[in-house]
Amino acid sequence: MMLVVSAAAISTLILTQRNMATSVRRDFQRDFESRLASLQAVQEVRHAVIAERCRQLARKPRIHAALEDGALDLLYPSARDELIDATNTDESAFREPGAYALRARYYRFLDSRGRVIVPPNSKDVGDLSAADESSLSTGLLPDRPQTGYIRRDLGGGSHIVDEVIAMPIVSSESGEPIAAIVLGFKPPALGGGGDGGLTGGIWLDGHLDFPTLADTARSDLEARLAPAVTSSDGDHGGFEFSSGKDSYLVFFKRLNPLSPYPPAFEVSVLSLAESLALQHRLAWEFAGVGALVLAFAFLASHILSRRLSAPVERLAFDSREHREHWHRAQAALESTSRELQRSARFSADASHQLKTPVTVLRAGLEELLAGEHLRPEEREEVSSLVHQTFRLASVIEDLLLLSRMDAGRLQIQFSSLNLTPLFEALLDDMGAMPDFFGLDVDSDVPPALWVKGEKGYVSLILQNLIENARKYNLTKGKIRISAIEDGEWAIVTIGNTGPAIPPASQEHIFERFHRGAVGENVPGHGIGLNLARELARLHGGDLRLSVSDENWTEFELRFRLAPPPEPKRGAS
Amino acid sequence: MTPRDLIRAAALAALVALHPEAGLAQASVEGRVTLPKAPHAPVMNQRYGIISHEGVLSPYPPLAVVYLEGTFSAKPPEKPAQMAQRDLNFFPNILPILVGTRVEFPNLDDTYHNIFSYSPAKRFDLGRYRSDERPIPSELFDVAGMVTLRCDIHEHMRAIILVLDTPHYVLTDPQGVFSLGGLPAGRYVLKAWVNSRTTLEKPIELTDGPPLHADLP
Repeated sequence: MMLVVSAAAISTLILTQRNMATSVRRDFQRDFESRLASLQAVQEVRHAVIAERCRQLARKPRIHAALEDGALDLLYPSARDELIDATNTDESAFREPGAYALRARYYRFLDSRGRVIVPPNSKDVGDLSAADESSLSTGLLPDRPQTGYIRRDLGGGSHIVDEVIAMPIVSSESGEPIAAIVLGFKPPALGGGGDGGLTGGIWLDGHLDFPTLADTARSDLEARLAPAVTSSDGDHGGFEFSSGKDSYLVFFKRLNPLSPYPPAFEVSVLSLAESLALQHRLAWEFAGVGALVLAFAFLASHILSRRLSAPVERLAFDSREHREHWHRAQAALESTSRELQRSARFSADASHQLKTPVTVLRAGLEELLAGEHLRPEEREEVSSLVHQTFRLASVIEDLLLLSRMDAGRLQIQFSSLNLTPLFEALLDDMGAMPDFFGLDVDSDVPPALWVKGEKGYVSLILQNLIENARKYNLTKGKIRISAIEDGEWAIVTIGNTGPAIPPASQEHIFERFHRGAVGENVPGHGIGLNLARELARLHGGDLRLSVSDENWTEFELRFRLAPPPEPKRGAS
Repeated sequence: MTPRDLIRAAALAALVALHPEAGLAQASVEGRVTLPKAPHAPVMNQRYGIISHEGVLSPYPPLAVVYLEGTFSAKPPEKPAQMAQRDLNFFPNILPILVGTRVEFPNLDDTYHNIFSYSPAKRFDLGRYRSDERPIPSELFDVAGMVTLRCDIHEHMRAIILVLDTPHYVLTDPQGVFSLGGLPAGRYVLKAWVNSRTTLEKPIELTDGPPLHADLP
């Protein structure tokens, strides 16, 4: 688990780190391009401002007058007045970066053939060598403003690049270009190194003018630029470039497309040192964060696995404990079952074994009773013994029945059974009993009450209950038997007068071999109620004690109602 | 009366007025000058901001000045000619004069103008002045040649004063039709000044009688 989590965490970290590095590089490049674009936008605005200024100069009536009306001698003197706020020919004023970006260092006029009209006094129009002056020529006069770049030799091996704008002067008579004014400006400083490592230079005539770049890097870049500039399909391109230990992002763009002046490229260079430093820092941060994440992942996976495995272990443990309990219970159950079976078998065996001697005993006693040589008191004694054999036989029958029920071998043969005749027969029998103390028997049973059951067992239940009602009654007491239909049930209540069953004993009266304290002098063996309830339940019904107060005890017995049997066809 | 008759009558009247001794001169020439197309559609300027277009504006159709070259004795008029500045333009924008004529430049606009010329025939600079400037600034044009007038303030304003050393000249109509009368008979060169770069010419022989027909070119 921990290994999986850790492996996933490590691979995620590595992937994220790589993505991050790519993203940093891409962001850096985008940032570079956007900064470049905004700088170029600023330059375009500057260029537009300068161009508009030049356009205004080119419309000045005195310049037109000098050029068109045959007064070239007045050209430069007039221009001097007109251009006084547009130029600053003091070279030292341009040394500060960005200074006089909108003012011209020098200006010259071109004649109708695009050649420089030489000024009478170069002091007023900005000094230029004859070679530099001739480089201002455009050949044919342009019909629209043109931008050019000239590289001037300042002596001592140093050079300077100027941006020149040639603005055509259109005849106020014919609308045709008749001359041009060329103004030389200090090119705008691109970045100057202070703008997040973005610096700029100008590529012109195979030379790279790039004051902020180290000489080695500059000459390396110069060599690299030459083929790139000539082979570039469009007017722009870019590449990554390394010099020594430093890496740069280079972008070049033609400054003067469609210009009669030699092509010049603006070269923007962004040092990747910052990007690399950022990447390194990010890598380290990533490593640190990664270690932390890994540690956390370890910890988390450990905790997680503990938490996940705890219920499993608990389950395993519980299951073991459970199994042991189960085994014990199973063993106990088996043992109990065996005991029960043995007990049931014993009861059954015992009953069977007992029935025969009892029968033999009763036969012997009856035979003895049939003899005539007995005295009357002996005869009464033997008669009592015969009666006891009947009780014994009854107990043996009950035990045999219970043992069959315990063994699960008692099957009820259900049929529709009318309770009413059973009651009648039982009450008849009871009236014949010798200890029937003139009890008042009240029977309220419908003419027919059909229930599901087997006649012998239902009869036994009723017999047991009526027997008990008789046995536990008072002298001249009362027995009330009623039966009603209630929904799907037939409810039989058998009540009798007599002492109450103590509450403590009430829950035990249905237990086997239990005999109530009240009946100490009452004959019985304590299995009658148990047998009755077991049998009632086997019939799908029940038996319960419903009332037992000071002088009245009542049992409620219920059976399932059954439809009356259909009369047999053909029966007469 | 057609414009042509008017021009003819005016030219004759001017000739008679300027040269009483030429009253006998009965020769005349008429014809048509092929005029160049206007570089821009003529517009009447009312507002400076609208009319300026590339620094060039031609509020009037191009006209040519037809004159007879030769040596004539003539005195310049005592009354100065006028070239006004009206609606931010020169009116008229071409004015032929006899050499020695004084031209006044009244400012009829309610703004400053600064008329100047760099032309070799007459360099001057009247400076900035308003309409209430008195006396009306004027210049004497005593050298023949073309003088281009400009306003230093309004770069589109431009006019030509053609200083001629002949009294025989006339402006064509916008179609280039001209008629020049009261001319002495003889051989001359008829010239038509079309613009600063173009002057057409044609040798003619004038005789008294019906007008000579001469188209340029």
